[in-house]
Amino acid sequence: DRQTLVAVLQFLRRSNLRESEEILRREARLLGDDLGAAALSPAGVLGGPDGDAGSLGGEALLSRVTAAPAVAMGGSVATVASSSPGVAAVAAVPPGKGGARAGSRLTSRVVSHCIFGSSFRLSDKLLFNAFAVGGGVVVEDQPDVSAVLSAYNQQGDPTLYEEYYSGLKHFIECSLDCHRAELSQLFYPLFVHMYLELVYNQHESEAKSFFERFHGDQECYYQDDLRVLSSLTKKEHMKGNETMLDFRTSKFVLRISRDSYQLLKRHLQEKQNNQIWNIVQEHLYIDIFDGMPRSKQQIDAMVGSLAGEAKREANKAKVFFGLLKEPEFDVPLDDEDEEGENEEGKPKKKKPKKDSVGSKSKKQDPNAPPQNRIPLPELKDSDKLDKVMNMKEAAKRVRLGPECLPSICFYTFLNAYQGLTAVDVTDDSSMIVGGFADSTVRVWSVTPKKLRSVKTAADLSLIDKESDDVLERIMDEKTASELKILYGHSGPVYGTSFSPDRNYLLSCSEDGTVRLWSLQTFTCLVGYKGHNYPVWDTQFSPYGYYFVSGGYDRVARLWATDHYQPLRIFAGHLADVTCTRFHPNSNYIATGSADRTVRLWDVLNGNCVRIFTGHKGPIHSLAFSPNGRFLATGATDGRVLLWDIGHGLMVGELKGHTDTVYALRFSRDGEILASGSMDNTVRLWDAVKAFEDLETDDFTTATGHINLPENSQDLLLGTYMTKSTPVVHLHFTRRNLLLAAGAYSSQ
Amino acid sequence: YVTTILEDAKIYSSHAKKSSVDADDVRLAIQCRTDQSFTSPPPRDFLLDIARQKNQTPLPLIKPYSGPRLPPDRYCLTAPNYRLKSLQKKVSSSAGRITVPRLSVGAVSSRPSTPTLGTPSAQTVSVSTKVGTPVSLTGQRFTVQIPSSQAAVKSATPTTPTVQNVLINPSLIGPKNILITTNMVSSQNTSNEANPMKRKHEDDDDYDNL
Repeated sequence: DRQTLVAVLQFLRRSNLRESEEILRREARLLGDDLGAAALSPAGVLGGPDGDAGSLGGEALLSRVTAAPAVAMGGSVATVASSSPGVAAVAAVPPGKGGARAGSRLTSRVVSHCIFGSSFRLSDKLLFNAFAVGGGVVVEDQPDVSAVLSAYNQQGDPTLYEEYYSGLKHFIECSLDCHRAELSQLFYPLFVHMYLELVYNQHESEAKSFFERFHGDQECYYQDDLRVLSSLTKKEHMKGNETMLDFRTSKFVLRISRDSYQLLKRHLQEKQNNQIWNIVQEHLYIDIFDGMPRSKQQIDAMVGSLAGEAKREANKAKVFFGLLKEPEFDVPLDDEDEEGENEEGKPKKKKPKKDSVGSKSKKQDPNAPPQNRIPLPELKDSDKLDKVMNMKEAAKRVRLGPECLPSICFYTFLNAYQGLTAVDVTDDSSMIVGGFADSTVRVWSVTPKKLRSVKTAADLSLIDKESDDVLERIMDEKTASELKILYGHSGPVYGTSFSPDRNYLLSCSEDGTVRLWSLQTFTCLVGYKGHNYPVWDTQFSPYGYYFVSGGYDRVARLWATDHYQPLRIFAGHLADVTCTRFHPNSNYIATGSADRTVRLWDVLNGNCVRIFTGHKGPIHSLAFSPNGRFLATGATDGRVLLWDIGHGLMVGELKGHTDTVYALRFSRDGEILASGSMDNTVRLWDAVKAFEDLETDDFTTATGHINLPENSQDLLLGTYMTKSTPVVHLHFTRRNLLLAAGAYSSQ
Repeated sequence: YVTTILEDAKIYSSHAKKSSVDADDVRLAIQCRTDQSFTSPPPRDFLLDIARQKNQTPLPLIKPYSGPRLPPDRYCLTAPNYRLKSLQKKVSSSAGRITVPRLSVGAVSSRPSTPTLGTPSAQTVSVSTKVGTPVSLTGQRFTVQIPSSQAAVKSATPTTPTVQNVLINPSLIGPKNILITTNMVSSQNTSNEANPMKRKHEDDDDYDNL
């Protein structure tokens, strides 16, 4: 753009680099600028979002260019570039964003070529940096930019880093109270990036002293990261650590109000603070919002993830959080109903049932996905029978609430010797499966009905195939037992999941495979190999056929049982994916990760539609509310956070647990949230109260946060302690009885 | 770990004809070992790239009425992973005995396929057995393997056993679409010790059936 060219030309002329100036003039003429005239009258007002830049006249621009060539060039060009869309309209280049960008790209290439020729290599790189940061980056420049970024360009004298940091610290501590909390967010990312830069450029002693001096100032919830960081003292240490590499190359996102940002910027753009400003621009993404600066409490609730907070536009995509319509079919009421209330006659009871199903289907829920958005398996007869059973049970369901708490039945695994690593219960609560560290998967029947497998082929030939109860006859009574052990994995089994039709069982393990077992024959059918690293969690879709798995390789994969390769790959997390759950409408997948974020992915196209930050430790449990609108997450920090999926906001924080929350489950109608933790307790929370009265108007969605009330104590309905048995799994039966599972540990 | 690294480093330094082990040797040893054993997951940009490719293809439609939805057989673990060895044994004099060797049943409707029992192809010397080809019925996707004889017969004088292959007997197809085929092969190997239990079982069957 013109201003840039003008400034550069003047600089070159003053430095007597006639040759370069000529080259630049020649190339710039391609853009159709009349530079002769323009050079003499650089008094263009830099219109743009930057108020500060506007105050700079051409003179100031020029003085910046000459004063400290390398650094100031970067600084001034950055400010210019940020207003380039405005300036481009002035310049005689083809209108439109593409034209402007092309112009600026060509300019940057040209200018850098000239400067490179004059051996100002440092400024060359800074120019690229500035263009990248200022928003004028084009896809073609990306490889150059990323190469530059990964080189961790030296922003100044390494011995002065401590000075820079303490200078910033002093400034922030002296700032106004209302701004201090927000500006303190800068400490951690700056500290880590400066430290990593020193390590990468092999200034070991400076890095060590820098770490020693400032690591104690950081927030307590970053201490785990800092411990890992303290062990990275050489460049070679950084090579194999994918999480650190991702952290370096991705920008740490900070949400700061406009006032605080102006304050910061004004301070940093003073000459002596320019180093920090460059580092900020290179490694941080500052998401500015208009509104009140946030308090320390509000900020503490939402920070903690490895990549900072989520940008507001990351949570803007439309999410279909409604439920899919249930298919209508007649509910056959027969005399087996025990209740005596239907003695008046069947037709009377039939009507209300049909109405309840019909009323739902009359209006299309605007928030529900279209029925065929993703292909789902059709309902088989056995599925329809299941649904009928479900409805019958639902009629007998206990309505829970603060006055009517569920009874809790605890299944304790004895003699597991800390080997129990995964538990799942079928939807009708007839079977429990346990995954163990000795690589076995054990299935128990919790009803008096034993587990039977299909007879061997020899026996099957002898049965009467025409009899009515042939489906009973094919089952082998001789080997029926309460427990079946499945062997096949070669590593601890970290996740298990029953299929909704109770025909299949999935298990995922440290050996990198996900295995599909048949519950008719209790043998292994398929091993899905895709992750080559431990798989931490897996789950069947609520409609069957699809399943999701997440593992150490930081991706989650969507599979279908009849494809040996995954259908979707959800990549984006910075650290392992520790927990994966389907949304009740099977169109979205939530993944919790060790990078302390929870992401919501769209199954249709694999896009990440929501990023939720706020946990201070790896996430180990996720639960969708039955109406599909809310998500509850639990992590190693002991907090349970509640999220509104539609708006993308945190709407609740439940404090109470003192250790990792490993299990979360909503009751069948969503009135109660149960959480189980390593601190040997099960806690019940009032979900109805937590989600009512949400002030989610346009203003709050614009800023991206709401004021969280401190009402954990009000919402807590009960705490139930076990005798040294951590709670690993929770399950509400169809009648709202709460089942819990864990392995007794005698410590 | 340390011992392994140092030993490798010693090898490298002696290869480079150095008098003592250097830091560079150790570094090289560590690097080689890391590439072998401590691999790290692929980098993020690579993952994003393959994710983008994979996510572009639309989700495949689900065929209705296709029984248990499993990948093609070669990707499943349902095939037999053993073959029974044929034993060269003396033939006993009980000829003409008709046994019903093991049968394999195709998938029952709406239930996952039962694993087909091992149907080894016997390496018989004199008995020529017809091995039925897998038959697949349209409509219900299940395969039927007609077992070949497990008879291990070695006889100097082949007393030709009669081999009857009843391939598909329509009367055996029940209303529930269970197709059972039998391959009746006579065997003369009561003295076969390979599977005495199985043999006995089959004998029982004979008595029951007869």
